[in-house]
Amino acid sequence: MSNQTAERPSAAAPRKRAGTAETLFRFQSFFGLVAVFIAAVIFSPRDDEGQILFLTSDNLFNIVRAVSEIGIIAVGLTFVILIGGIDLSVGSVLGLAAVGSAVLMVEDGLGVWATVGLVLLAGVVFGLLQGTAVALLGVQAFIVTLAGLQIARGLARMWSGGETVQISYGDGPGQAPMLFSLLGERTFGGVVPIPVLIFAVVAVAAILFLRTSAYSRHLYAIGGNEKAARLSGVPVNRVKIIAFGIAGFCAALAGIVHAGQLNAGSPNDGIAYELDGIAAVVVGGTSLAGGRGSVIGTIAGALLLGILNNILSLNSVNTDLQLLIKGLVIVAAAALQRLRPTS
Amino acid sequence: MRKTMRSLLAVTCAAAALAAAGCGTTSENSGQVQQQDPTKNCKGPDGKYTIGMSQANLAEPYRVRMDEDIRTAASKVPQFDVQFSDAAKDNSKQISDVENFITKQVDLLMISPNEAAPLTDVVKKAYNKGIPVVVLDRKVDGDGYTTYIGADNVQIGRQAGEYFTKTLLPQGGKIVQIKGLSGSTPAKEREDGFKEGIAGSNIEIVATADGEWERSVGQQKMDALLKAHPDIQAVYAQNDPMAEGAYLAAQAAGRNDLKFVGIDGLPIPSGGIKAVEEGRLQATNLYPTGGAEAVEAARALLIDCQPVPKTQTLQTELVTKDNAAEVYARLNQS
Repeated sequence: MSNQTAERPSAAAPRKRAGTAETLFRFQSFFGLVAVFIAAVIFSPRDDEGQILFLTSDNLFNIVRAVSEIGIIAVGLTFVILIGGIDLSVGSVLGLAAVGSAVLMVEDGLGVWATVGLVLLAGVVFGLLQGTAVALLGVQAFIVTLAGLQIARGLARMWSGGETVQISYGDGPGQAPMLFSLLGERTFGGVVPIPVLIFAVVAVAAILFLRTSAYSRHLYAIGGNEKAARLSGVPVNRVKIIAFGIAGFCAALAGIVHAGQLNAGSPNDGIAYELDGIAAVVVGGTSLAGGRGSVIGTIAGALLLGILNNILSLNSVNTDLQLLIKGLVIVAAAALQRLRPTS
Repeated sequence: MRKTMRSLLAVTCAAAALAAAGCGTTSENSGQVQQQDPTKNCKGPDGKYTIGMSQANLAEPYRVRMDEDIRTAASKVPQFDVQFSDAAKDNSKQISDVENFITKQVDLLMISPNEAAPLTDVVKKAYNKGIPVVVLDRKVDGDGYTTYIGADNVQIGRQAGEYFTKTLLPQGGKIVQIKGLSGSTPAKEREDGFKEGIAGSNIEIVATADGEWERSVGQQKMDALLKAHPDIQAVYAQNDPMAEGAYLAAQAAGRNDLKFVGIDGLPIPSGGIKAVEEGRLQATNLYPTGGAEAVEAARALLIDCQPVPKTQTLQTELVTKDNAAEVYARLNQS
């Protein structure tokens, strides 16, 4: 963290710098995404009619559907990481939200909107509490959210009695409203999965929010140099707490999508999703030291990893080798960040 | 702050609006199962067939062996090319794996689902696209698949119980049970079957611990059980790794008199059959992987153009010191 701070005292205004190299690096994840996409087209298997399987709309939407939950989580994580923090609890919060959605509808007979509202609220509160511990108690985010990871997982197990809560749909007792089953379906002629739309809305909202709000400048300022930000009147604690609240909100939303897609809430849902989310953020070019990065980058990073997963699977690359390749891509993305000009 | 709240609100509302707008969706969740001619993909012995095998995880040796059995059996069918995927215990990942197999237009799908409810829809989707589906070990809901191959956990539990009443403790006695992960179906079924097996005997289960299917947990739980119930004579563990863990705990406590029975009987060096052969376990109960049977079903459907039964229940077998070497050799014939 100190490293970055020393290099870039004026990190509060990261968008003002120009220059070709800088542009290249800033949009690193976007170029990476395009490169991986082109590679995927080239290496895609074809069917008997010579059609490129990777480019079929079914496949492209499958990719984004598979990415949507991690993508939503990663958008929330970006806020926390921009201030130089980390949130390890998001995978567990996803599990808690999935279980909560299932239990509230199936066992407690709540409607869809009440369930969604309560679960999102729980996610936000969980995030805010973690943020408070980080900001006011001064405990490192890593430690706070590591504890949060355990606590949320424990709550999910307790809430579900340790078992998967299955969701069946209908009007009877013990059934969830049909409306919730939409999350597992596709719209626009059965092509576009609903989770993709939700991911898109979250992404656009987060991008606009970061573009237009004063809050966004505060985020970058704190990530760049917390002390300087504090001295220049940035409400550091509040900004931090809100960032964790946003991460909690996104994780809970991803959990709701998860439960709806899978027709079940399992206390084991979302294990290690925080790592996939962090990978998307890092590949997206956001610095784990804070102060630098963007939601667009994160989304590009998530899609890049999704396409990579897909094309490796379509080519039947051995699962062990897949892990290795994905690991190398993450390292490469992080290494590129180090080369980025800093002046 | 106000702006923050407004933006959050906007996201929520937009998501809500989208969800509401989705009412005219084509349903994947509630879609009907279409009638399928199971041998539609059959091109006879001259065809080339790609088979996708979606495995729930490769963290359990049992599942590694299942893939291995499929690989071995398929290697004898030159027309077959089997591709494997590993969902790493993640339902979402397994859905993607199956979707990728559909995209690749595999001729047949094999799947051992991580959990039933979450995988049901995507399996049905594949089936409705005309891909024959062979479901292994764990079931899916409904009937959107071609055939299910698996063993009967109740029957295996019962067999283990009968071994206690007939052979191990005919006079009765006190035992402990080390269960699999609580909440998982096999754990319940193996317990129910076992209780049927010892019904009417003088065998008493004085305690049951949750060993989470894992060797280390089995060992840990057994440490405590030995302290709490020093008068037990035997241990029924719902899988071999937990039985081995319990054995280690007993050894450490100097209890060489205890007897151990497990389930699974994997024919690998670290598996239960070897443990029986080497005298650590008194017996294990074979829980076949169904890998070879799955390839047989694929052969019937794709090469012989023959239908297969909707359900195939695999037979279990009691493995004791008397037959361990023979069973091990038989299961590893190539």
